[in-house]
Amino acid sequence: MTDTNVQTGAGGIGDKAAVPGTDPAGELGPVSTQAPLPEERRASLAADAWRELRRSPIFWISSAIIAVYVAIAIAPGLFSGIDAYDTNQCDLSQSLAGPSGEHWFGRDFQGCDVYANIIYGTRNSLAVGFIVVFATFLIGTPLGAVAGFYGGLTDSILSRILDIFNGIPYFLAGLIILVTLDLPSIWGVVLALTLFGWMSTARIARSAVISVRDADFVSAARSLGATRLRILLRHVMPNALAPVIVVTTISLGGVVAAEATYSFLGIGVKPPTISWGLQIADAQQYWGRARHILFFPAGALSLAVLSFILLGEAVRDALDPKLR
Amino acid sequence: MGRYAARRILQMIPVFFGTTFLIFAMVYATPGDPVQRLSGEKRPDPSRAAFLRAEYNLNDPLVVQYGKYMGKLATGDLGKTFNERPVSDLLKQQWPVSVKLTLTGLGIQAFLGLGLGLLAGLRRGGVVDKAVLFTTLLFVSFPAFVMAFILQFFIGVQGRDVFHLPVAGTTQGWPVAYILPGLTTALLGLAYSSRLTRTSIVENLRADYVRTAVAKGLPRRRVVGVHTLRNSLIPVVTFLGTEVGTIFGTAIVTESIFNLNGLGRQIASSARAGEAPVVVGLVTLLVLVYVSATLIVDLLYGVLDPRIRYD
Amino acid sequence: MRGLKVARFGVGLAALSLVVAACGGGDDDDTSSPSSSGAAEGGTSGGRVSIEISEPQYLVPTNTNETAGAEVLDALFVGLVDYDDQNKPVLTELASAVDSTDNKTWDIKLNSGWTFHNGEPVTADSFIDAWNYGALNANGQNNNYFFGNIEGYSALNPEDPNPDDDEVPPATAETLSGLKKVSDTEFTVTLAAPDNTFKTSLGYTAFYPMPKAAFSDLKAFEEAPVGNGPFKMNGTWNHKESIAMDAYADYKGTKPKVDGIDFKIYESLETAYNDLQAGNLDVMDSLPPSALANAEQDLGDRYQTFPSSYYQFLGFPTYDEKFQNIKVRQAISLAIDREAISKTVFNNTRVPADAFVNPVVAGYREGACGDFCSFDPARAKQLLAEGGGLSDMTITYNADGGHKEWTTAACNQIQQNLGVKCVATPKPSFDVLLDDLDKSAAKKQSFGPFRLGWIMDYPSMQNYLGPLYSTGGSSNYYGYSNKQFDDLVKKGQTEATEEAAIADWQQAEDILAQEFPVVPLFFGVTNAANSERVTNVSVDAFDRIDKVGISLK
Repeated sequence: MTDTNVQTGAGGIGDKAAVPGTDPAGELGPVSTQAPLPEERRASLAADAWRELRRSPIFWISSAIIAVYVAIAIAPGLFSGIDAYDTNQCDLSQSLAGPSGEHWFGRDFQGCDVYANIIYGTRNSLAVGFIVVFATFLIGTPLGAVAGFYGGLTDSILSRILDIFNGIPYFLAGLIILVTLDLPSIWGVVLALTLFGWMSTARIARSAVISVRDADFVSAARSLGATRLRILLRHVMPNALAPVIVVTTISLGGVVAAEATYSFLGIGVKPPTISWGLQIADAQQYWGRARHILFFPAGALSLAVLSFILLGEAVRDALDPKLR
Repeated sequence: MGRYAARRILQMIPVFFGTTFLIFAMVYATPGDPVQRLSGEKRPDPSRAAFLRAEYNLNDPLVVQYGKYMGKLATGDLGKTFNERPVSDLLKQQWPVSVKLTLTGLGIQAFLGLGLGLLAGLRRGGVVDKAVLFTTLLFVSFPAFVMAFILQFFIGVQGRDVFHLPVAGTTQGWPVAYILPGLTTALLGLAYSSRLTRTSIVENLRADYVRTAVAKGLPRRRVVGVHTLRNSLIPVVTFLGTEVGTIFGTAIVTESIFNLNGLGRQIASSARAGEAPVVVGLVTLLVLVYVSATLIVDLLYGVLDPRIRYD
Repeated sequence: MRGLKVARFGVGLAALSLVVAACGGGDDDDTSSPSSSGAAEGGTSGGRVSIEISEPQYLVPTNTNETAGAEVLDALFVGLVDYDDQNKPVLTELASAVDSTDNKTWDIKLNSGWTFHNGEPVTADSFIDAWNYGALNANGQNNNYFFGNIEGYSALNPEDPNPDDDEVPPATAETLSGLKKVSDTEFTVTLAAPDNTFKTSLGYTAFYPMPKAAFSDLKAFEEAPVGNGPFKMNGTWNHKESIAMDAYADYKGTKPKVDGIDFKIYESLETAYNDLQAGNLDVMDSLPPSALANAEQDLGDRYQTFPSSYYQFLGFPTYDEKFQNIKVRQAISLAIDREAISKTVFNNTRVPADAFVNPVVAGYREGACGDFCSFDPARAKQLLAEGGGLSDMTITYNADGGHKEWTTAACNQIQQNLGVKCVATPKPSFDVLLDDLDKSAAKKQSFGPFRLGWIMDYPSMQNYLGPLYSTGGSSNYYGYSNKQFDDLVKKGQTEATEEAAIADWQQAEDILAQEFPVVPLFFGVTNAANSERVTNVSVDAFDRIDKVGISLK
């Protein structure tokens, strides 16, 4: 076997990104070793997967929860009577007041409504998650695919670049990027998490491509005289995309959690921007006095993360015929 | 296999230069004045400021600073912090702490991950399987610092009479001071290692050779213990190898909260202080550790799975 | 095969338990553990106490300018001057006289028989050498400027002709011409200009004596400083972990009641507080904000508060046109409910400020700030309207100092009471804040008020007025400048009597009250907590724990 094939295992299995929880890739071993499917069966595989998904209660429950979150993110005003961005609602004398009929989730340290903060924070936290995941997908997939498909020197260079980015602690990258560029709103966090989060996607894409690269139908296409680029785009990528998509879905939760960790380290999104991470980071120091201000935003975050992970799991189960 | 390993080790050289320059440039780009930062909110004394700028080449452009740093590095001088502690001293003191923390975290994770994964895999679809899935996923959905605070508060403070685990590892040393921070990192990765074990157990239980073993009438313990578990270890081991990087990465959070004097905490404070030589030295080391871990995992993979051969 | 593996595991486990046992044994030897306390009322002598500090930056007297290092050096060294309960300068047991007739030439006499921990006698040279070392620019000491008013200082610190190169300009002398040895126990200090705060300033860390051994290898000295104080190092500075010291047997002054001190180094106050509650730490003199609300009920009389010299205020960059109208600044001051923030955010560990200097210094007058430091939203609105109004503003703070809560609360109050959109804006650290301030000033963009704090170096009104409000003062970052004010501050320093000096300074403070360049907000309160095994814990205005008086129960 060649150099690059040796790495199939290491690259494909269980490479975890520096961003905690971004890459659940452990599950991908089976995907990358499964026998590549002939072209004509792809449609029926998708149909099979959908049939499988429709029967999965986990799929429906997690999708429903995510739908609610998305609705909140789009129109927070429909879900909360209080505008969290209007600080006139805050009352310092009511600092850390517990949940009541008027303020369901109680008040935070500044005496602002915790429920309103969670509702209005949803948009930013989810936006960070979606944008980062989409951007890392766009960066990581082509890089990983090219490395896996062309192999040799290209692969070595790309793999070592990957190592460099993987080895740099993501908080350090965040610290420097966020402090240096001082971007408004969520954009600094998005940039930092993207620049140091694309590696896991690239790893998965690379190993998925390697597992498909030498399949019979690829050889067939090659013998018919197709160009390498055409082979990569038309034949290899469609068969390698599934595991990448699964990882991407699951990593969304990790990104949202990483946003919170940046806030904890004091470099995340800045006021007046509201986010779950900021709320959690602010709340942790009052843990001994008022649990509710940590519990509710952390709950909102955990539920979102959990929903995305479960959705990813359900999709993976459906796509992986061996686990049926 | 030797040629392959040699090639990979040679590739570390460009990785080394790439990393050092990248980090040097990043630290150099941070705004603010390191000399002012050292003086806190007072204006630095002019003589003091001139001394520091001269001593740490702070007036030079990036490339010159980098060149001077690499020149010193070639002579074995790793540089020093702004309060004149040599980086080699920091390493001597902090490297063992981070290694102990990483190994403790890995150990706990391997133990729990394999155990729970095995349990879930053998009872696939049962209550145990679902419970393991749900709890481990719940752990993943906590940010690391929330997990650390929860463990510190409930086990270290409120449960101190039961567990006797210190909340701050200033003096107690290994292993007691490392259990809570190790557990924090372990729980964060637990979902992956347990799921991974479960999946490969399930796969292997269906494999032909296991079916053969069962058909031969071998006792279940032997089937699971020898034929299934050993083959299922491969992906788990590779995963744990790459976990090294993650645990080092989250060390900034765990070391801060549990007051361990390790590399993560040092990198964070040095990055904030703008001490480029310290950050570069320590992070480069982390990258090299990470690259070595990946290499070892790749080689180990070949050892564990006889189907893989290196040319 | 299988049996072999099990055997290997067995060995591994045995090795593990050995390590555990070894560590357990180590813990038992640790005398700072609470179980080994000798219980008696009113305090006994002997035993060791553990004290929380953060990692000191330096442990050299002429280089230490932060509280953690000062706390450690305070145990290891004794200087010429200390302060009484009123923060008036008094001689230490080491000094027998610090006198001057003209505030320009000071005659300093030492008691004989005192030694450093290595046996070297403490002489006039120990002081002269240390101060010369601190004053020389090539040594790059942090406390260099404290020697700035001693005659001959400029020869040791010439102007840098090329500030951008990598060279420290060469000094034309190595020693301060103003320091003259008379005998082993006497020396004189001649100042460049009369200064009656000189004696007071001698209590600062920079003025400790140093032994000859220090100058041969300062790096080694710093790892285990050899001082002349009540405690001596036991081993070396265990960076970021601990610093241990024992009572010095040959100490000539009042001997400490405890046998030794273990400084435990913490990065996070929350962790230290958890450790204190768990019984692993004896004293800490700064509680995390999260603990303050419950500290009294959690700890009872083990929680104490002491006055601190901290003074917190808002500075307004003078170039910023939005805030040039004095009525706008007064309106902002009147719109902030200091009492409410004090109570809710600080749990009374800050008190509302009513003057431009802290109450711990002589000459402080209650209400020197006038009406504008009170809370009066109606008058605030009226003044703002008269002053031309304001649509929006920010309060900038550095995110690494725990200022988020109170700046946010102040902003919310400004919003609610003035209808001005106000956002508390963080900068990662103070130097970045200053950088951005400079950039905004260059571009003539509005920067708005930003938070500032000051802890005194020595107890004198001048140590607030000079650095904070004088033209070019070392912490006058907002650019306030008033010639009459500067002259009064300088005049006060040359007065023959303290009363006359204070009268000048109070006149200067009145100018501040009229021109209102800054908004005074809070004075600090030090909060300390201790474990059940120690007693006689007290903290001075410099955040230093009384390490001679502290004892076990």
